[in-house]
Amino acid sequence: MAKESGGNEQTHKAHRQHKSGASSKKGKKGKNKGGDGSGADQKKNPKAFAFTSSTKAKKLQSRTAEIEQRRLHMPVMDRSIGEPPPFVVVVQGPPQVGKSLLIKCLVKYYTKHNLPEVRGPITLVSGKHRRVQFVECPNDINGMIDAAKIADLALLLIDGSYGFEMETFEFLNIMQVHGFPKVMGVLTHLDGFKDVKKLRKTKQRLKHRFWAEIMHGAKLFYLSGLIHGKYVKREVHNLARFISVIKPTPLTWRMAHPYLLIDRFEDTTPPHRVLTDKKCDRNIILYGYLRGCNMKKGSKVHITGVGDFSLASMSSLADPCPLPSAAKKKGLRDKEKLFYAPMSGLGDLLYDKDAVYININDHFVQFSKTDGDNDMASTKGKDHDVGQVMVKNLQATKFSIDERLDQSFINIFGRTPPALALNYNDGENDERQIDIEDQNQGDDQELSEKKRAVVECDTDEDSNDNEVSEKEAGQARQSCELREKVEIGDGRIRRRAISSNFTDDVEEEEGDESSDDEDERVDNHEQLSDDSYYLEETDKDEDSEDEAVNSSKWKESLIARTLARRGVNLIQLVYGQPVSNQASAVSDSSESEQSDDEDFFKPKGQANKGIDDKSSFDDINAEDCSKFVKLELKDWHARDLIESIRDRFVTGDWSKAAKRGQDANDNGEEGDDEGAYDYIEDLETGEVYNGGVGADSHEEDKTGAGAEAEERRRKKLALRAKFDAEYNGSDQSDEEEKETENKSHGDKPKEGGFFDKLKEEMELRKQLNMMELNEMDEEIRVEVEGFRTGTYLRLEVHDVPYEMVEYFDPHHPLLVGGIGLGEENVGCMQATVKRHRWHKKVLKTRDPIIVSIGWRRFQTVPIYALEDQNGRHRMLKYTPEHMHCLAMFWGPLAPPKSGVLAVQSLSNNQATFRITATGYVQEFNHATKIMKKIKLVGYPYKIFKKTALIKDMFTSDLEIARFEGAAIRTVSGVRGQVKKAVKANLGNRPKKKGEKVKEGIARCTFEDRILMSDIVFLRAWTQVEIPQFYNPVTTSLQPRDQSWRGMKTTAELRRENNVPIPYNKDSVYKPIKRLPRKFNPLVIPPKLQKELPFKTKPKAPLKIKRPTLDQKRAVIMEPHEKKLLTLVQSLRTLHNEKKRKRELEKEKKRKANEKEKAKTEEVLKKRRREERKERYRREDKEQRRTRRKIEA
Amino acid sequence: MGGKRHMHDCGLSRSIGYFLEPLIILGLFGKKPLTITLKGITNDSKDPSVDTFRTTTLHMLKRFGVPIGDGLDLKIERRGAPPLGGGEILLQIPIVPNTLSAAHWIDEGMVKKIRGIAFSTKVSPQIVNRVIYAARGIFNSFIPDVHIFSDHRTNAAGGGSPGYGISLVAETTTGCLISADVAVSDRKADEMEEEMDEKPKLTPPEELGEQAASMLLEEIEQGGVVDSTHQGLLFILCALCPPDVSKVRVGKLTPYGIETLRNIRDFLGVTFDIKPDPNSGTVLLKCVGSGIKNLSRKIS
Repeated sequence: MAKESGGNEQTHKAHRQHKSGASSKKGKKGKNKGGDGSGADQKKNPKAFAFTSSTKAKKLQSRTAEIEQRRLHMPVMDRSIGEPPPFVVVVQGPPQVGKSLLIKCLVKYYTKHNLPEVRGPITLVSGKHRRVQFVECPNDINGMIDAAKIADLALLLIDGSYGFEMETFEFLNIMQVHGFPKVMGVLTHLDGFKDVKKLRKTKQRLKHRFWAEIMHGAKLFYLSGLIHGKYVKREVHNLARFISVIKPTPLTWRMAHPYLLIDRFEDTTPPHRVLTDKKCDRNIILYGYLRGCNMKKGSKVHITGVGDFSLASMSSLADPCPLPSAAKKKGLRDKEKLFYAPMSGLGDLLYDKDAVYININDHFVQFSKTDGDNDMASTKGKDHDVGQVMVKNLQATKFSIDERLDQSFINIFGRTPPALALNYNDGENDERQIDIEDQNQGDDQELSEKKRAVVECDTDEDSNDNEVSEKEAGQARQSCELREKVEIGDGRIRRRAISSNFTDDVEEEEGDESSDDEDERVDNHEQLSDDSYYLEETDKDEDSEDEAVNSSKWKESLIARTLARRGVNLIQLVYGQPVSNQASAVSDSSESEQSDDEDFFKPKGQANKGIDDKSSFDDINAEDCSKFVKLELKDWHARDLIESIRDRFVTGDWSKAAKRGQDANDNGEEGDDEGAYDYIEDLETGEVYNGGVGADSHEEDKTGAGAEAEERRRKKLALRAKFDAEYNGSDQSDEEEKETENKSHGDKPKEGGFFDKLKEEMELRKQLNMMELNEMDEEIRVEVEGFRTGTYLRLEVHDVPYEMVEYFDPHHPLLVGGIGLGEENVGCMQATVKRHRWHKKVLKTRDPIIVSIGWRRFQTVPIYALEDQNGRHRMLKYTPEHMHCLAMFWGPLAPPKSGVLAVQSLSNNQATFRITATGYVQEFNHATKIMKKIKLVGYPYKIFKKTALIKDMFTSDLEIARFEGAAIRTVSGVRGQVKKAVKANLGNRPKKKGEKVKEGIARCTFEDRILMSDIVFLRAWTQVEIPQFYNPVTTSLQPRDQSWRGMKTTAELRRENNVPIPYNKDSVYKPIKRLPRKFNPLVIPPKLQKELPFKTKPKAPLKIKRPTLDQKRAVIMEPHEKKLLTLVQSLRTLHNEKKRKRELEKEKKRKANEKEKAKTEEVLKKRRREERKERYRREDKEQRRTRRKIEA
Repeated sequence: MGGKRHMHDCGLSRSIGYFLEPLIILGLFGKKPLTITLKGITNDSKDPSVDTFRTTTLHMLKRFGVPIGDGLDLKIERRGAPPLGGGEILLQIPIVPNTLSAAHWIDEGMVKKIRGIAFSTKVSPQIVNRVIYAARGIFNSFIPDVHIFSDHRTNAAGGGSPGYGISLVAETTTGCLISADVAVSDRKADEMEEEMDEKPKLTPPEELGEQAASMLLEEIEQGGVVDSTHQGLLFILCALCPPDVSKVRVGKLTPYGIETLRNIRDFLGVTFDIKPDPNSGTVLLKCVGSGIKNLSRKIS
């Protein structure tokens, strides 16, 4: 890898093993131990000898402790309440591996339906409490990224006959960056193996490779082969069981952001607009289950591959694929409810906000051909099916009901606007619209049931018709009823809508409250809860028809009265209401009441002033001041005043104070209205509404409060225990895992007090949240908390580019992610990245990369850097090969810790690994500083003693001023300092008169005199600008088969335009040659020598005139020695002679060989030339022919 | 944002208390812990005084998971009364590591002790004693545990102009702090010019003490876990919590509190569920926090 990326000529220093020191000994010792026979003997039972030294034992202990601690991770708080959304199973794999077939088989297994084609997400009910949503992952990198972001479980399909392919690893890497969900491998194409042994070997090999990638013991499933073009039933069954036990892992990013996997998509642009302009911006509606966290109204969303949008409207719909436990409807066949896949064209009911579409397959309905009395069909003269006509009929009636309902609503609004306003927090028109529509939808659902019922009676034409008419009649009756009641109030209809949309506990709550009644105190207490208001109507419903009319009258008056007297709902008061409403309320309060109770519901001070309430806090010009100054203060010397707050002090009555607190607590927890309004007497009719226990129950409540608290605590404890059990269970979801765990740690790791405490705190917090939220009204709850996870949402988005609709492809998962606070801002991010080790090249600074962070994908221009030891960020031209580095880039901000995935290009035809780099965001850095080295070069212009004027280093005097005092250096190593810009008088005179003084000449001082031939350097750092560029990747706005094109890299541009890489001869690295230095002998001048003391004087060796003894002595050999010498000499001569001869022979042979070679070469050359000739001739001919053709 | 040795002159139009409230929240969500010196008017009749801030506001943060003493501190180096100011405080704010924690703060408890600080700058030190005496006179009929410190400043530590005032804090059995403060000084320069003909009338010390005591008692009467001045800050802190339910009890909603609630809804998208509690005459507010994290903190 290193060679490939670094270039061929660059060689690296070889690794040299230590030959001395502790580390070299360590290795040897270990080897010796292993190699020794005795050592091997000793290790027969290593456990028995584990405890030989205390230090070793200590080390072992700390090691195991560390492993245990590493297994623990911070518990994540699961804030989701209620039914979880369907579990997303992403089926991923290289092309032709059998993804769609697997989904089809699973769908067949769950629903007994044959799925013709897998398009878009398919929601199934897989068990009593579980739903699964299958998504097929497309093979382009965009689709893979999106799929990885939503997967709760990824099924990685692997072609067993081929082995792993890059797609699998790419997908794994994407998942690792964006939060690793559960992963299961599935091996397919195993029927190609004829040899059982080979099959086993392959399985083993692939399994171990898979383990290496994920973790030891990761589940790899085998699908042995196909039977009748389907996977084996038993194996699919097993796989389904595996899927059903897996629990989703909590992932930080997803837990903090709401997101939807879109399973239905509609274009609702008015047709006339499309007709006039085909390319006009469209309005679309997106449907999907809400996941992640709660989503508040008015939040912005990111649609992957399109961009950021604010939602035009957002509403929850009835679950199209409810859990069996939640669905109580008997009208539908169970078989059909288990299934929802609108993009695949399956699933028979489509719930919209204002309509329900029924899709009935022909073979489920037995249409008869007779037209009968249907004049509509006959007038058209076509062969219409009765069923269709019926549906049409029903639709017609439905619309009429709708219209009527609408009308009736308008009536109510006209009559009693304040009453309605109570129902909504926010009195904006559109929201009101939604509510009404919701309600309509509820009715529609009912209708649809009826329709279904009709459709199902396939016995007789006549009876059918009868029923239809009956139903219609019933509906008409109902609508009449509605209308009657509508005059009274809209409460009943509303409630019905709620009950259809939400779970039954709302109803239960209301039922509970219905036991309570209202009181005369209504007059005093101005707040009348909506619930109680509706309650009376439920009571009334039980009454007979005519009574209802009567009671409606008294009710009207009651309502009117309460309305007149009531103060304003506090939420309403704070967050505002329609102007008329507010005004009336305010005038009411200021006019009529001044009682003590009254003023407490109004902002402080208003009551006291009592003149103009609105101005006090609506006044824009009022000074912004948190301190609220009262103009008049009470006189606290007064006895009664003192008594009034005596109990607020510890010196007062503790029991009374405790009671106050308790009351308050009770009220706080049970929704204030119950205690206060449990007794209502109607003045007109004299009827007393006493809610069973009434006022007497008040004390009971108090005594019961303690018990209740106790009970609540117990409940909490129980729930916590359950939670703990679940948490542990999820840790060990796999059987194998459990086993291995049990083996490795005989006892469960002690999680420690801290850990337990954390979990306990979280659980308590969750219980508290649930309790507080459940006691709110539904609408307020949605307003406060947002839509809960698991609800089926309908998002309306306006002004979407038309390309999105044009090129919408259900095969690609469409993800809508909520944008958190501050995440829509654009800024500079600092991320730690590492080039992926399988990517072939290092990355270059300023080469655009495509980055996936959070929900978004965008192209940006990064600058790589490393942090120096002094904290400076130094720019890097290229990423390091095997190291993390910092990357600074511009883009929409993502919170720190979110994963970063970089891809160089999105095209599909890339053979190699597509993931370029991975990392995570470190921080936002608005004042980011990346520095790079700069070397300013100058030349002496004039040299005084140790001062020199340097030219060409700076261009202006201003620049010099910036660098005053900077250190400089010459090539020869003389150091110096920049002083100041040279003034005109000092050697820097204009050559001619009138010429301007040359700028940019600096006066510098050095530690020594420099030469004119010296070059002066100034080494400095300069800041690198981070390019403020980012380009959202809009792959959903173009045909999916085209690859997205963004900014090109310099290399690409060079290649396209045939521009050579600029070549600077000086920049080429050359091998450094270091010649051995030659030192001249030391010469001490004779003058100096003379002065030196004798000790240090060089002493020339004395000339010896006579030869030494060694020289003089002659050596005479012994006769034996002489003999030996002659023998050796003769042998040597013999050998030399032989060698000479051999050499000669060799030379001769070589020459002959060469001659032969030359000959064959000649022949070859000739042949080659002929071949070439022939080829050229042929090509020429062909060319001529084509040219002729073209001309012809 | 963050860092040490910052300095800011708050000017003379508003007192430092006006700047402190937003600063403390900004500081909590900064990149580094903040240490800043603020100069200007420390005690003012219009804005909450720095004493109140030190004794009450900083302790509010404790409820939201910001520990006191751990880099959260306010030191009054000099006092400055209007019109000339000259006060100086040193504020230290730590950063939150990740998020605040949601508060369930509805138990107001009973007042167990009353503390306070009376200050005077560039006036006779006797005035402080008179203020304290008058305030104690009112509290005597309620609770014996009253202790009001005196803080007399002269020379540079006393700022530019004469003034005196008092800041009172009532602590309840559940640790809620309810505060009130008043201050008296010469009118501000611009106001003074307008009303030159009238002789500016200053509240006498006795009256001031009584006024402060009555204000505190009124705050106590209203109930709630914080006083009316701190409502806005309390709501903001609730809204900045992780998406858990925060529940707080306050007395009557002040216009400023209401304005803050609206701003919170507009900027953070957090809506409060507001319910009156008729028994105690207080208001219960519930909200689900916006889940703001300290995004600017560096992850190493």
